[in-house]
Amino acid sequence: MTNLVGLLGCGLLCLALAASVLRLQAFPAQARYVVELAVALAVFVPIGDLSIAGTVRGATGDLSAPTLALAASALFSRLTGRTLFERREVDALLGLVAGAALFLYPFALGWTAFDPYALGYGSMAFVTALLLATLLAWWAGLKLVVFVVLAGALAWLGGVYESRNLWDTLIDPLAAGYALAVLLMKGGKKLISQRRERAAVV
Amino acid sequence: MSARLKWTSLATIALVFAALYLRALEAPPPARFVAPRAAAPASARPLYQPQLLPNGSTQSVHSATAAELKDGKLRAFWYGGTREGAADVAIYTSVYSPKEARWSPERAVMTRELAQRSLQRHVRKLGNPVAGRDRGGRLCLFFVSVSVGGWAGSAINLMVSEDEGETWGPPRRLVASPFFNISTLVKGVPLLLSDGTLALPAYHEFLGKFGELLRVDGEGRVVGKTRLSWGKSSLQPVVVPRSETEALALMRYAGDPPARILMIRTRDAGAHWSEPVKTALPNPNAAVAGVLLAGGPLVLAFNNAEENREGLSLALSSDFGETFRVARNLEGEALLPRAPVPEYSYPWIMQDRAGDVHVLYTWGRSRIKHVVFNRAWLEGGGR
Repeated sequence: MTNLVGLLGCGLLCLALAASVLRLQAFPAQARYVVELAVALAVFVPIGDLSIAGTVRGATGDLSAPTLALAASALFSRLTGRTLFERREVDALLGLVAGAALFLYPFALGWTAFDPYALGYGSMAFVTALLLATLLAWWAGLKLVVFVVLAGALAWLGGVYESRNLWDTLIDPLAAGYALAVLLMKGGKKLISQRRERAAVV
Repeated sequence: MSARLKWTSLATIALVFAALYLRALEAPPPARFVAPRAAAPASARPLYQPQLLPNGSTQSVHSATAAELKDGKLRAFWYGGTREGAADVAIYTSVYSPKEARWSPERAVMTRELAQRSLQRHVRKLGNPVAGRDRGGRLCLFFVSVSVGGWAGSAINLMVSEDEGETWGPPRRLVASPFFNISTLVKGVPLLLSDGTLALPAYHEFLGKFGELLRVDGEGRVVGKTRLSWGKSSLQPVVVPRSETEALALMRYAGDPPARILMIRTRDAGAHWSEPVKTALPNPNAAVAGVLLAGGPLVLAFNNAEENREGLSLALSSDFGETFRVARNLEGEALLPRAPVPEYSYPWIMQDRAGDVHVLYTWGRSRIKHVVFNRAWLEGGGR
């Protein structure tokens, strides 16, 4: 079961990346599905012992709910020309993932004696913090954040990941890297435009 | 969001988090170490038997480990191939019969291709194996695999045998790091805890170098972990319990001089560990091994130098790590035969049920050497 879920997740990421690289939205509507079907065959059918999805899984491990949601969103947009989630909701998710990444990775990689990753094995404090974040997101109408947290929690409860650590269903380095890069770029752009405005006033 | 959807989603949040809290309540409570067994009858006649294992099928071998079988034999594992990190590196095994004082021909139990097929992911190379037993008495073999990069890209896998190592179930990958699950390796002996879970000493080599104690359940899943050290200078922990609550851990040192074996202690069954302190024993950034003999002293196998691995010695501590004295040299300039490449490293030490002590180590990077001795020899008798 864990192998199947892991391979499907990595395969979904491959499909989304292929759709972006091939600029699928430029194709006629029906051709997009044919192209993605061909990519799916290439990604999931093993070559020798291993499929492309398996090769990717060797490098990335099982992908978290935010990565899968963002990949599904990107694939949906390229296939249909419509957006699955509002920009505001995606930005909120990326902000949450970036914050979690800054809290988790430096400490988990041995910076200090404190290891937040150990909280993911069933800490009441961690579950409570996650509940508060989820309720805040619900109150603010951030459906995507709520959906991703619930999907990650259900995956953890169902034991469909190799990992028994709740963190691994909620965040991975791909989502973290993407979130930090998007937020840094946005921050940089905002800074540049503010400086330009000041210069124009002077 | 419509009102109906809004309240439905709140109800879903309540249900899912209720389940999360229930699961958190089921998390395994702290467990205790299993106290060392009682003393075995000591033999007055010194015993010392060195021999090389019949591991001639590969040019390069490293990282031996072993477990005692139910019939009193010893099953060893190591990895071998054309060179360390090569794609043809496999995990090999051989069985030692104390009655015949002989090792069986080697055979491979895990190859890179088999690991790749079973784990359903790309595997580039295999590394350190570590043997142990779970609460059901089944033989467990943890081993390292790398998908991307060098040893810093390692992950740990576990496979289990129901027939003392003749056949093995498919390997399972242990997840112990949130960062692509890389940089977790094993070297030290796993310990059985009072609740049946295993405490597996592990270490990280990516960005930092530090040790951890992973808690592994009966299905081979990591269900908890405790940090043994942090920073960039300690790795390859070996945990030696003295009672249900008290243990020390020895670690390889990779920091600034003076280069010494590191030691930490716990008095609450591993819930908390002291800061690492340097012992008086040197360490040339090399693995150490330790065991508390039944009813007797703590024995360490280590490279007795700060800069090289050209000698391998045994140290004794009768006060559980407060002081040490070098009791015997297993390898060194004055001892023959010397390996073509004089490097003696990665010791593994254990005591069997009969009371004899076994040390396995890499001999010149080309052979695995086995030395069996008893306390009479260790404490001064014979060679």
